Amino acid sequence: MAHKQYWKGLEELENTPEHQQIVENEFQRDLPVLDMSDKLLNATTPRRDFLKFLGFSTLAATIAASCEMPVRKAIPYAIKPDAELLTPGVPNYYASTFVDNGEYCSVLVKTRDGRPIMIEGNNSSSITQGGTSARVIAATLSLYDKTRLRQPRANGKAVDTFEAVDTPIAAALSSAGGAVYIVTGSMLSPTSKEVINRFVAKYPNAKHIQYDPVSYSGMLLANEASYGKRALPSYNFEKAETVFSLGADFLGTWLSPTEFATGFMKTRKIKSSDAKNVKMSKHYQVEGMMSMTGANADERATCKPSEYGKVAEALYRAITTGAAPSLPSAKLNSLIKAAAADLKKGNGLVVCGSNDVNLQIVINAINNAIGANGTTVNWAATANYKQGLDADMVAFVNAMNAGQVGAVFIHGVNPAYDYYDAKKFADGLKKVKLSVSFNDRLDETTQLTNYAVPDHHWLESWGDAEPKTGYYSFIQPTIAPLFKTRAFQDSLLKWSGASETYHDIYNQYWIAKLGGQANFDKALQDGVAEPATAPLAGASFSGNVEDAITKAKAKTGGKYEVVVYETVALGYGGAWSNNPWLQEMPDPITKATWDNYVCMSPKTAKEQFDAELTGINQVERNKKVLKVKVGANEVALPVVVVPGMHNDVVAVAVGYGRSKDVGPASINGKNAYPLVTFNGQTFDYANTASVEKTADVYAVAITQTHHSYEDRPIIQEFTLDEFKKNPRALMESRKEELDHYAHPHWMGHHEENKDADLDEKAFEKNATMYPVHEKPGIHWGMSIDLNSCTGCGACVIACQAENNVSVVGKHEVLKSQEMSWVRIDRYFSGDPNDPDSIQTVFQPMMCQHCDNAPCENVCPVSATNHSSEGLNQMAYNRCIGTKYCANNCPYKVRRFNWFDFNGADSFKDNLYTDGQRDDINDDLTRMVLNPDVTVRSRGVMEKCSFCVQRLQDAKLTAKKEGTPIKDHHITTACQKACGGDCFTFGNVNDPESEIYKQRYVDNKERVFYVLEQLHVLPNVNYLSKIRNTNMIVAGSDKNEMAKQHI
Amino acid sequence: MHLKYESFVREALINGDKTYGQVTEDICRPIEQKPSKLWYMGFAFSLLLLSFGAFSVFWEVYWGIGTWGINRTVGWGWDITNFVWWVGIGHAGTLISAILLLFRQGWRTGVNRAAEAMTIFAVMCAGQFPIFHMGRVWNAFYVLPYPNTRGSLWPNFNSALLWDVFAISTYFTVSLLFWYSGLVPDFATIRDRAKTKLRKRLYGLASFGWTGTAKNWQRFESLCLVLAGLSTPLVLSVHTIVSFDFATSVIPGWHATIFPPYFVAGAVFSGFAMVNTLLVLVRKIFRLEDYITIGHIEAMNKVIVLTGSIVGVAYLTELFMAWYSQVVYEQQAFKWRVLGPYWWSYWAMMACNVVSPQFFWFKKLRRNIVFTFILSIVVNIGMWFERFVIIVTSLYRDYLPSSWTYYSPTWTELGFYIGTFGLFFTCFFLFAKYFPVIAIAEIKFTLKTSGDNYKREMKRLDEMSVPEFIHEVEHAH
Repeated sequence: MAHKQYWKGLEELENTPEHQQIVENEFQRDLPVLDMSDKLLNATTPRRDFLKFLGFSTLAATIAASCEMPVRKAIPYAIKPDAELLTPGVPNYYASTFVDNGEYCSVLVKTRDGRPIMIEGNNSSSITQGGTSARVIAATLSLYDKTRLRQPRANGKAVDTFEAVDTPIAAALSSAGGAVYIVTGSMLSPTSKEVINRFVAKYPNAKHIQYDPVSYSGMLLANEASYGKRALPSYNFEKAETVFSLGADFLGTWLSPTEFATGFMKTRKIKSSDAKNVKMSKHYQVEGMMSMTGANADERATCKPSEYGKVAEALYRAITTGAAPSLPSAKLNSLIKAAAADLKKGNGLVVCGSNDVNLQIVINAINNAIGANGTTVNWAATANYKQGLDADMVAFVNAMNAGQVGAVFIHGVNPAYDYYDAKKFADGLKKVKLSVSFNDRLDETTQLTNYAVPDHHWLESWGDAEPKTGYYSFIQPTIAPLFKTRAFQDSLLKWSGASETYHDIYNQYWIAKLGGQANFDKALQDGVAEPATAPLAGASFSGNVEDAITKAKAKTGGKYEVVVYETVALGYGGAWSNNPWLQEMPDPITKATWDNYVCMSPKTAKEQFDAELTGINQVERNKKVLKVKVGANEVALPVVVVPGMHNDVVAVAVGYGRSKDVGPASINGKNAYPLVTFNGQTFDYANTASVEKTADVYAVAITQTHHSYEDRPIIQEFTLDEFKKNPRALMESRKEELDHYAHPHWMGHHEENKDADLDEKAFEKNATMYPVHEKPGIHWGMSIDLNSCTGCGACVIACQAENNVSVVGKHEVLKSQEMSWVRIDRYFSGDPNDPDSIQTVFQPMMCQHCDNAPCENVCPVSATNHSSEGLNQMAYNRCIGTKYCANNCPYKVRRFNWFDFNGADSFKDNLYTDGQRDDINDDLTRMVLNPDVTVRSRGVMEKCSFCVQRLQDAKLTAKKEGTPIKDHHITTACQKACGGDCFTFGNVNDPESEIYKQRYVDNKERVFYVLEQLHVLPNVNYLSKIRNTNMIVAGSDKNEMAKQHI
Repeated sequence: MHLKYESFVREALINGDKTYGQVTEDICRPIEQKPSKLWYMGFAFSLLLLSFGAFSVFWEVYWGIGTWGINRTVGWGWDITNFVWWVGIGHAGTLISAILLLFRQGWRTGVNRAAEAMTIFAVMCAGQFPIFHMGRVWNAFYVLPYPNTRGSLWPNFNSALLWDVFAISTYFTVSLLFWYSGLVPDFATIRDRAKTKLRKRLYGLASFGWTGTAKNWQRFESLCLVLAGLSTPLVLSVHTIVSFDFATSVIPGWHATIFPPYFVAGAVFSGFAMVNTLLVLVRKIFRLEDYITIGHIEAMNKVIVLTGSIVGVAYLTELFMAWYSQVVYEQQAFKWRVLGPYWWSYWAMMACNVVSPQFFWFKKLRRNIVFTFILSIVVNIGMWFERFVIIVTSLYRDYLPSSWTYYSPTWTELGFYIGTFGLFFTCFFLFAKYFPVIAIAEIKFTLKTSGDNYKREMKRLDEMSVPEFIHEVEHAH
């Protein structure tokens, strides 16, 4: 076939040499302007310069235009990280361990985009069993604390490199004459101990001492005397049927409160469906002050701390010989008699909060006599929470003052603040040539040391803990160190000349111990490695009881005795003092924030110091200032009147009155550690004191100023006997109250069936003139068991962390403008003049998500409205802030953004500042915010949302799984935080859900709704409180609190 | 001779030998003269108060509602107290101009202009509070039902606060119209008397080309009647709806069916007291004693004693209902109201509102200017306390004792309140200077029946024998 030719044009057809050249050079580069290049290059603005000008002016314009723009630091991932490690927007959970001066909690850390934002309990731990405390949850905020040291310091100046401290320290160490001391808190970490051992091996004159700011030496020494073991046993509150606590706040602050509270609350769970066979532990408390544990006791009596010896003796004699006690008050006598009888029944447990060796020996003797050893007191797995001996510390301070100490390394403790004789410690430290602090901030001690080599925060570091012998728990970093800090173990290794890093030692140690990398990985993932079966053993008591009793009761007291105590929020102090969440968390008993104060009984306050519990006290925030003096030391603090305090006892909390370098939030109040004394063997936290009036007043920010619930049916309490006799009593009273509306006469209901339950559906429908909405699908509901609430406040802080609730500062709390979404209402009943008669109840209160919500219909713009799932929801964008909804809320749970508390406002420079809480808005601290939750701006209303972001997430998860939503998909923040399982949350329309079972099957008879008669139809129900006691004071003629309206 | 016959036994409403010309002269005098020193001082002081108020409001809007003392429990404090108080004050004006017009009460003509002005200014002051008590006042327009791109997203028609928006804005509009339409012939009078160009021009504009023809007058009369008809239900509805803010809630002390009549009576009570306060001053300062006579004052004092007694009964009824209901929350709410930390506010209210007006049973005191003035202020204080008692002492101790708290105002709240006084008096001073404070045209209607000199003539005629009278009438020309 002939090859046909086509051409595109005449040029191609002719194919001239010019054309061939053009074809060859298909992509012509020559631009026509080149012809004029001479002209261009010689122009006043040549082409290249023109481009320069263009570039410059564009850049200049860009810079000029961006001058006024706020710089937002959002750094995108240039390369997407491994999807399994990190997906933006999807949280990761890491098992880790909270360790703080011997306090232990196994946790899961929730990280979002590489930053920890929430801490939850770890259910894998058999010790804390998923429980947490306020401090544990607030640790994320401390991680982002602006006041943390950001680099090492040498001789009072910040230095940029570790070499700048390593070289002089190593040099000083090798030339240091005298002893070398490493002072730490009680150390739970086996590998850290290993590192210290290596250091000690290198420097044989080195010595490791452990120091507990709030000491348990008395118990350690007593156990040595009684059992030959200088250790603490494990206390098994879960098994205890009778608990007798002599001044031990085991639910709030004593030893390992998270573990004890979680365990103990399991013995308080009750099902009304099985009321006849219900079993519940009995809790006796004898104490001087009003502790949170005392507030939860079934039977409580007070005595002076100096009388603890006599009380212990009486209990011991009553148990061993049946002798009738003859104590200062009749209530004490009857309580001891009853307690002795109960304890003898078995599974009893006696604990004591005193640091007195002899008293603890008597307690050991009692536990031995009732057979607690081997049942509730477990010596097979001894607890390592506290290991410090006070005498060691005192000897160390004396050695420093005597000039015998060449070098001191301080880790995690702060004796310049919390040692009973801080001045002596400071003076001694000045005589030491080399002093190094590993503390995280320029605290009172670090201010005095030559060097500061800050340790990582635990959320940034590797680590481990052995809370109990044979029980291991691991710390893994959840964020890269924020600052130029170094693990203190690495510092020690470096200075001892080791070439290994701590991480090497850590890996080697655990791989060897756990038998392989795989086991170690699993342990890291679980957070814990525990024995398969819990070991249980007793110990044989060999103490000299009679001698101990004689010595214990020989203690004499004065007119007033002062108890120095830890608050549930701040504990011993430390970094917590600068944690605004904890500072603003109302104390469980006093409901005070931001300060410490003198707790005093109403009677003494009124008669001796002209300070009243009620009346003007509810209006006047200014409290009279009293001077409390122990020996030569005195503190002047405002008096806060607390029902339930022994009339001769005052109490002052530690952790307040810090140096301003500890942080702006920590400066309120006064340091109470100077009121501690040393008796030659141990520190005494209760001492004879003199109390004097001063002319001053001081405002204390208290969130709850009325203390009685006035016998209103907003709380329902019954004794165990009443409950067993007639579990339906509550149901009957509800029926009597509401049946009239549920079955109105005009609708033809005349016959009343007393035995039937209250018909909630009929009440819902007939007690209103409006049509009732159907509630198909999901209907969220919450049940709160008043029996399980200890008042500890973990839920309050969890809510704050989860929902970005603003901290408002002391000044705002004083104006009752606080913002917490969950509050714990605390009510007293009884006679304020008789501390032994006081009964306390805690009631977590948050938005009740009423189906017939009074807030919704009054909002002029429908900013608060109802979801089809029963949520009362807030559309922040729509809210104009009339506050009408808050006024019309019968529960007063709606919270208003009074100021621009968090920088979410669009006004310029109007951020609220008070000089104390402001760091919360620092760029660093804001990393703690939960990105799933809107940060609310000024002028809008907010309140509990039932953690709607979690619900949404749960629904999506269920949808992806293709299953209906079930209980395991959802936990609210408060529910997860609560070790006592106080909260049950779920879909009420699902008969398999726990909430359905609580409400309609297991605990139907205990259910009540607060202010049910208003027909607001709350979606939160409460379960009545059952006290294992003889009488409920509230509602009886003995309830003076209600009669006097206090 | 006027068509209407009025007995000479009735007190004259205009004293002195007044002719139409004199009336015009007397009332226009302040407008045409240079204001007195006193006026300047008063005006400057009012402006000062107004600027302090503006600053307080600026401070609150800029920093947040937290600059006020209200809190998580007491969400409304001085803001809504002042709102209700000012709205209440406004009521007298409408009552005087509308209801008394319908009832053909001649004495209203002496006071209606000033009273209506007071209404307008009081409502203006009142309106500031619900606006600036919003946390995000820049979004206040969300309450208006206008089609929008959000859905459309409408306001919540169930909310009493929204009803307030409609009630107050309607009330303001109608009152303003009513007031202004009354001013039209008077403006024309001033225009016609004007000696300066500017005055002529401005009053000319304001008088809408009024010529005073019979048609003009006829339309004017009809308009007034229509507006009076419109305003009359408003007198009752506005405060009824304001009371719904409270009555439709679930808070003990608020949730009460007695509120609408009780609020309306209270509003009239406080309104008349405020009219008395103002008129006692105005008649003195502008020398209008002949037009605002002691008889006027007495008439208003009678209204005060009546409405004061009505609110007294309402207070007692509330207490009775609280006891009778046997509802613990109601009983306690009233217990704390009467005996709690705010006892002083309750007893201040009782003393000022219930006890003090009872003095007006005595004619001597009713006709005593000084006493009237003092008492009118006492009543206004009492009525302020009433609103404070209702709002704050219902909220501060409601259902859950854990939330009970106390409330005290801060300087910004105080400043806001003072600022509204500034606004009120600034407006009132301007009104007194530039507007005829007495309705010139309307008072002339009554001059020939209720004027002093005409009354004297009437008395002479009345006392004449019939033949004499016939003789005189027949030979009148």
